[in-house]
Amino acid sequence: MTVVSHREPTGVIAALSGSALHDEPAFTVLDEESKREIRRALLHAVCAPGYQVPFGSREMPVARGWGSGGLQITLAIIGSSDTVKVIDQGDDEGVNAVNLRRLVTASTGCEETTEVNEATVVQTRHRIPEDELTSQHTLVLQVPVPEPLRGIERDMRELSRMHAESDYSRMWVSLYEDKVRNGVITQTTGYPCLVNERYVIATTPIPRWDIPRLHNAEFLSLFGAGREKRVYAIPPHTVVEPLTFEDIPFEIEQNENTYCRLCGSNSSFLVQSPAQDDNWSCSDTAWCRARRTK
Amino acid sequence: MTGIFVPEPVVQVRNLGKVYGPFSDETISRTGSSFGSARDAVIGSIVAAWDISFDVQPGEALGIVGESGSGKSTVLRCIAGDVEATTGDIRLANVDEGKVNILDFDASRRRRLRIDQLSVVYQDPAEGLSLGITAGGNIADPLTAAGWRNYSAIRTRAKELLNRTEVPIDRIDDLVRTFSGGMRQRVQIARALANNPGVILLDEPTTGLDASVASGVLDLIRSLLEELNIAAIVVSHDFRVIEMLTERCLVMHHGRIVENTLTDQLLEDPQHPYSQELIAAART
Amino acid sequence: MELSTSDTTLLEVQNLNKSFILHNIDGRTIQVLHDLHFSINAGEHVALAGTSGAGKSTLLRILFQTYSTSTGSILFKLASGEWVDLAQLTDSEIVAIRGREIGYVSQFLRAQPRRSVIDLVTRAGISRGLDNSEAREQAQMTLEKLHIGKPLWEVHTSVLSGGEKQRVNIAAGLISPPRLLLLDEPISALDPENRTLALELIQELTLNGVAVLAVFHDLDAIEQVSHRIIAMEKGRIVQEGPTNTLLPLLRKGYIHS
Repeated sequence: MTVVSHREPTGVIAALSGSALHDEPAFTVLDEESKREIRRALLHAVCAPGYQVPFGSREMPVARGWGSGGLQITLAIIGSSDTVKVIDQGDDEGVNAVNLRRLVTASTGCEETTEVNEATVVQTRHRIPEDELTSQHTLVLQVPVPEPLRGIERDMRELSRMHAESDYSRMWVSLYEDKVRNGVITQTTGYPCLVNERYVIATTPIPRWDIPRLHNAEFLSLFGAGREKRVYAIPPHTVVEPLTFEDIPFEIEQNENTYCRLCGSNSSFLVQSPAQDDNWSCSDTAWCRARRTK
Repeated sequence: MTGIFVPEPVVQVRNLGKVYGPFSDETISRTGSSFGSARDAVIGSIVAAWDISFDVQPGEALGIVGESGSGKSTVLRCIAGDVEATTGDIRLANVDEGKVNILDFDASRRRRLRIDQLSVVYQDPAEGLSLGITAGGNIADPLTAAGWRNYSAIRTRAKELLNRTEVPIDRIDDLVRTFSGGMRQRVQIARALANNPGVILLDEPTTGLDASVASGVLDLIRSLLEELNIAAIVVSHDFRVIEMLTERCLVMHHGRIVENTLTDQLLEDPQHPYSQELIAAART
Repeated sequence: MELSTSDTTLLEVQNLNKSFILHNIDGRTIQVLHDLHFSINAGEHVALAGTSGAGKSTLLRILFQTYSTSTGSILFKLASGEWVDLAQLTDSEIVAIRGREIGYVSQFLRAQPRRSVIDLVTRAGISRGLDNSEAREQAQMTLEKLHIGKPLWEVHTSVLSGGEKQRVNIAAGLISPPRLLLLDEPISALDPENRTLALELIQELTLNGVAVLAVFHDLDAIEQVSHRIIAMEKGRIVQEGPTNTLLPLLRKGYIHS
């Protein structure tokens, strides 16, 4: 039985959803033609893993920069027999996650859950759930900046050329400079990865901790950037390698002496409550809760 | 044909031409050295270079000398791929065994030649370097483009090259922007040699540098050319550079080659009227 | 001086003429060499004598192809035994045979300010076909023979005196010598002691089969090292003969056209 913290829908959602949860969708956020176009773009993306496919990004009831890309992907692929889980920084109960989840269920009639093993589509910002995702899952990631070379090159045509010719030397130089300047490669979230030994992608903004999950995964990952109007994909069982020099191993965050203050785990990705020093807890709230209730 | 062994050329250029604007056979025949202009007075098109042919042997430096507007830099840029040639045939011994015209390559294949077959040292180091990254980073660029993925190997190679070009190794992590002109030029040379190209093109390599700095860089280039057995094309208006670095050279005037001769012969016994004028002016 | 025993013609000049066309001035033609004929054998040292302006340096330069040939032939026998006409060779062929087959030593050190003495001479050896260590060894030996001792080896040539520069020049010219060596006043700046050393080395050349064509303004030097003299005046050969015979005449100023 799913437990959803229950607050009465307010404002626009309330007006639009009425009593139509779990029955006929009361309203449409994305029309069928749009969904079809997005699915076509996604098919292209799956055929060229890591390649940024442009698509006609629609106006969504969430502002640009708040997950409109991920939302469009989810709406395009989800059906009434699906179950959606939405997390924001690992938390199902963040305001954004809740709003997005309600929008999806209300407009498509699908089920919702906080449990990974019940979900078929997991939409996320900033994390991959701790629980293992399998071939029953499709992971939809919200991406603010899809271009890994942003900050290195501004010219669109040059960016296009670099990806087309697999000419990533400037990316390598920036990693080199990073290591020289800081002693380590400092990128913490959105670490650039080489997909299928061909395209470099921005994994923004998941932490290093989650990067290894993308490699040779059982599940399909779809990345959506609404403001930038791009989607890209990592099909199951695809090689995904974080860009690093062969003598500088890629390292994930270490939990040396930190434990979750709620469940005691140090084998999950931990985040710190801002105001307090020693106040670490699991980023994935559903996972943490499940541990505690066992 | 004598039995004197002359090795197969590393670079073979035939009938290279670059015209800006539309042109006909008449345009070609109305321009050039004997017409005193590269510009066709009738149509207005500019025949920046025409009918340029030469070979460069392994380990040889060929000079191209002329005043500004002679077309010498155009020729260099056509070979480099910075400018698209109008016509011509250029073959490199290390590319498809010299059997294929690189001017037929598409832009991306031409670009790939610049990674490890053909390097350019520009007059302005800023054109061949990224000023906002370190000296080591500028060398890491061609290395990573050639597939180097080991950080310490990259560092070692960068230090080796900086050492060879007499740049203090403790400046490897300094931004190139902080280097003087002469040092920037040395870093540019180090970068150009990173992947051991078979051919190096030098465009006025010491112009703009102070005299003492220039002679240091010139010495460096000369000893590198001797040591590395690389084929070089040196473009300069300065005869001291040509004398120091080359055994053979071409004189260009209004887009055409007017003399193709031994360097010492050009300096001491120039044949073409324009060459004589140039040498006389240089001697004063 | 007796001729050395290896008596093979190495160089044969036929009908050689040289003119300069001065486009810069008024297009006038100046002829500086007229119809030269002569030959040189391996192991022979031939001295070019004559007043300044006679065309001696010009002749050396044409043989090295620093000047182009106007008309005539310069037949040269390569190490392979093949005869070639230097006047007809391509530039690349000239570059290929310079150094190894034909060398030229002028009185001035070519512009290369920052080279060290040992590097310069070693490099010359390498360009003649020696490997690095051989070249270095021979460079050291040759410099020693010219009394340029170890303390000077790492010094840059720009700080040397005129005489020292000339001796370094000679060392670079004579290391692993080519088959024909053209010398243009190579000892003009040397004091008597160093001149003797240099002349000894030059003498050794012919003993080793090298053919030498040299210009010395010093008649004593000519006497010491040459087998034959070719006397020139106003671009023509006016007399030719064994050194023993011609030298006394030269000394007395008896050679005219």
